[in-house]
Amino acid sequence: MGIISVENTDRLYWLGRYSERVYTTIRLFAASYDNMIDSALADYKEFCRRLDIPNVYKSGGDFVRTYCFSTEDPNSILSNLTRAYDNGITLREEIGSETLSYIQLAVYAMNKAKDSAAPLIELQEVTDNLLAFWGMADDSIDSENVRNILKVGKRVERLDLYARLHMPREQMRREVHRLSRIERTQLKYRKEYLKELNVLVDSPEIDYYEVVSKVESLLEDHA
Amino acid sequence: MQEMDLYRHTDTVNKLLARYGVRFGIYKNNEFREQLFPFDAIPRMIGKQEFEYLEKGLKQRVMALNLFIRDIYGEKKIIRDRIIPEEFIYAGSGYLAQCEGVCPPKGIYAHISGIDLVQGKNGEWYILEDNLRVPSGASYPMIAREFCRRSSPQTFKDNHIEDNRNYADLLRRTLDHVNTGGHTVILTPGRYNAAYFEHSYLAEKTGAHLVTGSDLIVEGDRLYFLDYSGRREPVGAVYRRISDDYLDPMNFRRESLIGIPHIYDIYRKGNVALLNAPGNGVADDKGIYYFVPKMISYYLGEEPILQNAPTYLPYYEDDMKYVLEKFDSLVLKDVAEAGGYGVVFGSKMTKQQKEDFIALLKKEPRRFIAQEVIDFCDLDIMEGDTRVPRKADLRAFVLMGEEPMVWKSGLTRFSRDPDSFIVNSSQGGGFKDTWVLSQ
Repeated sequence: MGIISVENTDRLYWLGRYSERVYTTIRLFAASYDNMIDSALADYKEFCRRLDIPNVYKSGGDFVRTYCFSTEDPNSILSNLTRAYDNGITLREEIGSETLSYIQLAVYAMNKAKDSAAPLIELQEVTDNLLAFWGMADDSIDSENVRNILKVGKRVERLDLYARLHMPREQMRREVHRLSRIERTQLKYRKEYLKELNVLVDSPEIDYYEVVSKVESLLEDHA
Repeated sequence: MQEMDLYRHTDTVNKLLARYGVRFGIYKNNEFREQLFPFDAIPRMIGKQEFEYLEKGLKQRVMALNLFIRDIYGEKKIIRDRIIPEEFIYAGSGYLAQCEGVCPPKGIYAHISGIDLVQGKNGEWYILEDNLRVPSGASYPMIAREFCRRSSPQTFKDNHIEDNRNYADLLRRTLDHVNTGGHTVILTPGRYNAAYFEHSYLAEKTGAHLVTGSDLIVEGDRLYFLDYSGRREPVGAVYRRISDDYLDPMNFRRESLIGIPHIYDIYRKGNVALLNAPGNGVADDKGIYYFVPKMISYYLGEEPILQNAPTYLPYYEDDMKYVLEKFDSLVLKDVAEAGGYGVVFGSKMTKQQKEDFIALLKKEPRRFIAQEVIDFCDLDIMEGDTRVPRKADLRAFVLMGEEPMVWKSGLTRFSRDPDSFIVNSSQGGGFKDTWVLSQ
């Protein structure tokens, strides 16, 4: 089994989280935006509330541009993609140039979308590249440990986002089940929280707030 | 040079280089920026016989430089025999008193050397500079070759070109040769270093671990890699891409936050290999460069195969006289500077600048060297659809494993400014692949 430094473990985990955050928020944003078309772009406030994003936007139009592409807004999709890139660029020898190149391509696509007259269409290219990134990670990263840590980051992020958005039970269950991959890593995590997450998603009324709390504290060293 | 299909693919190759994050970092106005390194698809071509001649000369030079470093930190015969004045050794910033009496594993100091050359219009090659500390640049032609072959396979079918993608293998052999037992790591100052792409790419290609100082620890006279699961894995070779000063706060600069405390102590005991060896700067100082041909004769008893550019040391009275007489036709270099900085052309100075410079030269003669401006060969580059000539140099890489090995390629850098001789990437230069023909 290969060895991984503490720092790289952290970066792998956060690369997984940020790339998933970008992927899922683009998808959710696109769906919400579609609703906003019929509701005078007012639904963005609900979107912000659920994702715990401060509503600093002046209007629906401002939200669309700023939330997607602002370099100043730390919650923007572009800021999250930049964080994914910042983690990825330091992991070339762990994940390989080929895998890393898809994060780079996502950054280029994001910048292209930023300047586009039809940004939502262009964001498709960002998600395409992120999917290719995950495909390449699965296909070409030799170290199972590296793959697992990366994917734990992805699963934690997705479950966190799904809980915030009150996604249906079946999707919540599936994500909690996928998180069991964490047992295959040597990451320090709170086993009792994983058990509790399983109970929470099976309970008659899912306590989404509690799910977010547990998933955010699941890992001991990577908060 | 005949037009090749490859030349049409400059943009494609540059796009691929961008996609794979082939960049270098640069600080401007205290701000870090990453820049692409512009690639030109017209290669520098070196014939088989010509390269054999270069190879011989480069091996000879690096062997002499190795013997020189060993001598300086050991017996100092070359000083006693008055071949080199001692002030050139001890006044230079590259000399490290801490290295006195220290012999690295297998007695190798300059494991990876980057030797800068130019070719004069007369066809003669001249050495411009020896880089024996942390020379960078091999990764760029390596990865560019990969994309060139993909862009234009026919070009590589039609021409007999040595494959340069074996650099990682040569490097690995070099690292393994001196490894004292344990993992091999590449030590980087971090993401914001100018050559970070290269550090990470070479780690990927050699299978070494890319580490920062905080990943390593010295315990019980051994160096260990700290694994996230709590394991301590022994390390036997460190290809360090940080300068001597910052390597070990207990032995060099105390304020270094990127080094590893006590690594130098265990190196001194022979428990880890450091590549390149600390203290090598004593041999690649621009002032010492003047003496390299003398070193070759002194240590190897041979005539130098490759020539230095005609160089003068204002330290010597006769040379100072010559420099003052011919000031306008010379290029002057501050020995403490690198990366194309501290280089001034006499012909380009105003009257006032010239007077100020000469006053400084007289005050600190040891600080400068002067060289004849070599009218070196231009190489064509593509500018849009047009071929235009530009100044270019060649960085050749010599690796010292069980025996010296010269990489059959090199980094050809060119100036994008038609009026400039400065080819450094940090000053806006671009690069080309270097083809060594196999037939």
